[in-house]
Amino acid sequence: MIFNSVSFLVFLVIVIPLYWSLPRVFRLWLIFLSSLMFYGFWRIEFVPLMLFSSFVDYTAARLIYTSTVISRRRVILFISISINLGLLFYFKYLYFFIDNAISVMSVFGLQIDKPVLDIILPLGISFYTFQTISYTVDVYRGFIRPEKNFILYACYVTFFPQLIAGPILRAKEVIHQFLHRPEFNMVDFGNGLRWVIYGLFLKVVLADNLAPLVDDGFAQPVSTLSALDVWTLAFMFGFQIYFDFSAYSHIAIGSARMMGIHFPENFHYPYLAYSPREFWRRWHISLSSWIRDYLYLPLAGISVQDRSTGGLAVAAKQERDAPRRSLLLVLFLTWGIMGLWHGASWTFILWGIYHATFISLYRIFAPLAKSWPDYSTKIVGWAVTLPIVMLSWIPFRAESISASLAMWKKIFSWHEYSWLGMRENIYLIVSLVFLCVIGSYFLRKWYVHTVESGGGKYAVFRISLESVMFAIIIGLVFVFLRPIQQFIYFQF
Amino acid sequence: MNSVMSESNHLRSSLLLVLPVIIGLAILIFMSNFLGLAHNEEKLDELALGKETKIYRATYQGFPVHCNEISDGKICLEGWKKRGSRPVTLWLGNSQLHAINQMKAHDVNGVQVLFEKLASIGNELLTFSEPNASLLEHYLLYLYLRNHVPVQTLILPVVFDDMRENGVRAGLTPALNDRIVNQELSKTVIGREILAEKKSLKSDDDLAGLNDTPQKNIEEWIVSLLTERWALWAARPKMRGQLLKNLYLWRNSAFGINAQSKRKIIPGRYKKNMEALGEILRFCAIDKTNVIIYIVPLRNDVAPPYVLKEYMRFKNEIRLLAAQHAAVFVNLEGLVPGRLWGKKDATSSNGVAELDFMHFQVGGHRLLAQALFDLLKSNNFLSSNK
Repeated sequence: MIFNSVSFLVFLVIVIPLYWSLPRVFRLWLIFLSSLMFYGFWRIEFVPLMLFSSFVDYTAARLIYTSTVISRRRVILFISISINLGLLFYFKYLYFFIDNAISVMSVFGLQIDKPVLDIILPLGISFYTFQTISYTVDVYRGFIRPEKNFILYACYVTFFPQLIAGPILRAKEVIHQFLHRPEFNMVDFGNGLRWVIYGLFLKVVLADNLAPLVDDGFAQPVSTLSALDVWTLAFMFGFQIYFDFSAYSHIAIGSARMMGIHFPENFHYPYLAYSPREFWRRWHISLSSWIRDYLYLPLAGISVQDRSTGGLAVAAKQERDAPRRSLLLVLFLTWGIMGLWHGASWTFILWGIYHATFISLYRIFAPLAKSWPDYSTKIVGWAVTLPIVMLSWIPFRAESISASLAMWKKIFSWHEYSWLGMRENIYLIVSLVFLCVIGSYFLRKWYVHTVESGGGKYAVFRISLESVMFAIIIGLVFVFLRPIQQFIYFQF
Repeated sequence: MNSVMSESNHLRSSLLLVLPVIIGLAILIFMSNFLGLAHNEEKLDELALGKETKIYRATYQGFPVHCNEISDGKICLEGWKKRGSRPVTLWLGNSQLHAINQMKAHDVNGVQVLFEKLASIGNELLTFSEPNASLLEHYLLYLYLRNHVPVQTLILPVVFDDMRENGVRAGLTPALNDRIVNQELSKTVIGREILAEKKSLKSDDDLAGLNDTPQKNIEEWIVSLLTERWALWAARPKMRGQLLKNLYLWRNSAFGINAQSKRKIIPGRYKKNMEALGEILRFCAIDKTNVIIYIVPLRNDVAPPYVLKEYMRFKNEIRLLAAQHAAVFVNLEGLVPGRLWGKKDATSSNGVAELDFMHFQVGGHRLLAQALFDLLKSNNFLSSNK
């Protein structure tokens, strides 16, 4: 089911009151069945696949826990991960693998026709696969005990708010919340509903209105774009994907919060990051935390964390004690895989390697700025990081590696800065969005420090201001709500 | 103490939910009822043209002969068959063909005039015009129509403003789905670019994100139920249009943009449109179809809203391209005198009407029809079956 639809709102109106009126055991069943229904609204035939993937890890985790023989535990873990990654490979990467294999063979003179396969990528498979893998690995590591109750465990995997596009959560963070029956709390419910509506605003008012402009811009032949156009497109897509994906996370977190379930934040003003490392503590935090604990740190031979917060930046402290020689290789490998996780294409691998490169450069150059005052480090860091991050979106969105490279090349050609190749409106829109994103951060900071911390002194002002602001957001969501576009991250 | 805090938090939370909903609904109801959006029956394309200009589409013996896109084009083709399926003169264009400035009762547009002139000597005219139609769209439409009607002559207006357009409208989907059109398009770079547009077709389908899912049926049902029972819900598309229109007006006010502001070439779009024109001419040569390309009439009592150097280059390139493909080229930019033009709605929030550079009065339509008729005649592009 797509969040930006009336049917989802109706779904919430039915499920949430039911949830609060049922005893705990029935609540679990309600979560489980409603989540299956939520998924089935996309394609019912892929529900068994998701259940199978869940069941594999449920069983594997229990077998690992009961086994005392280390080698046996390893074999079970290996089988579980292989099944999960095998499914992911088949549904997501088989075409990519075949295409590349055929290209390689053609270099050696072997001409093979591409087989006709009719594989549909199951929605959310990358997300729930990572979630189930983390569960089994956490049991293997001894971070958690396996869950006996399959329904309780299945609720963790299939819980509808986070099923299709995350956040990718750890069992330790969620299962105990299902286990205890939370009491209805108006504050939580209200905050949750506000998150949902704010998420819808980001999606239907901002992201969906930027989408046609981005599509149009990236459909232009690169030869007709100037360097300023490339910058504009990079920023515009950067904003679109931020609004789109953070909208999903907001709606997911809000829907769960309305049911008394707390998820950690997945985005935190990523474009205000003052280093590439900092960016990954603010962007898709649950994914970069997953990559940190199940890929990067284990490959680097460093002890891992057991929570989906902090992102990759948390690894910085442990890295100091790690052998330096392998860190660089591990970093690039991790980022290559991170890119591939986003999509079966070389453009995503290029995106990953690009980030790895800048994180490596940051590691080299950051110590040089240690003696600088904190504010200047942050300002310079932000001024350097933001364009780097925005340019990374080019391979993420462009049709091919060659188009991405051609667009990047424009950035370094001075004569490409003397003209403009798109409608004048586009530059205006991107500039306005940029100012609003930056402005909203400082406004929010001021509001939290001055008004929210002012207590009763500002109570009336606060309620009036928030009511009016929120009324405008509700009005805009009402007018613009329509499932005209899917979420970008659905394709991953 | 804690329970008092908790109670105040609950109260605050409830207030912050209830108040915005009430205020939000009040704003929406105000917009809907007092601004008349719920009851405003004005068509969106007429809204875009402004109050001074009305749409007229030519008809003959109860059948339209002037269509918008392929879906309504079927009725045009039906009429053409009834009239004997004779070879046609095909006129493709933008809103200049279907809009009449200061239209009065019994005024007809150039299409109606030319059709009747041609019909009187046993010739057929079929016209398709869409607002801001790009040459990419004309190319696609031509590829589609050449398989359905024998095109004897193609009349193709080229508009500098429309060289800034791009993409293909959803109304041309049947052409993109046509097997023969697909084959032809896939042979050229610009054709493949048009085919790629299929993915990001400018769809009017609000439920496009739900395509191929069971959720679409449920969403459709809920939305239609809400639209039937709740006037405020039904007014949403108009509110959306009004909001976007206001944003456009505010932008123009803030940046001093009006109808006379200079429009520059957008290189990528310009190149695509020129390539599409080249392809149209190539196919016409293959089909042995006569072609008349004309630079559209332009208001000449004031400076044109173009960068003159770019506009001159554009005219020159069109002329050369026409010559390359042995097409008749004619510059009609001075055809319609200043007195036959008019004004259009304000393009900024100050509300002052502005000069219309695209749509002329009925007199201009008569002049254009006569000029084209003379060209068809002088170039022997008419059938002599009457």
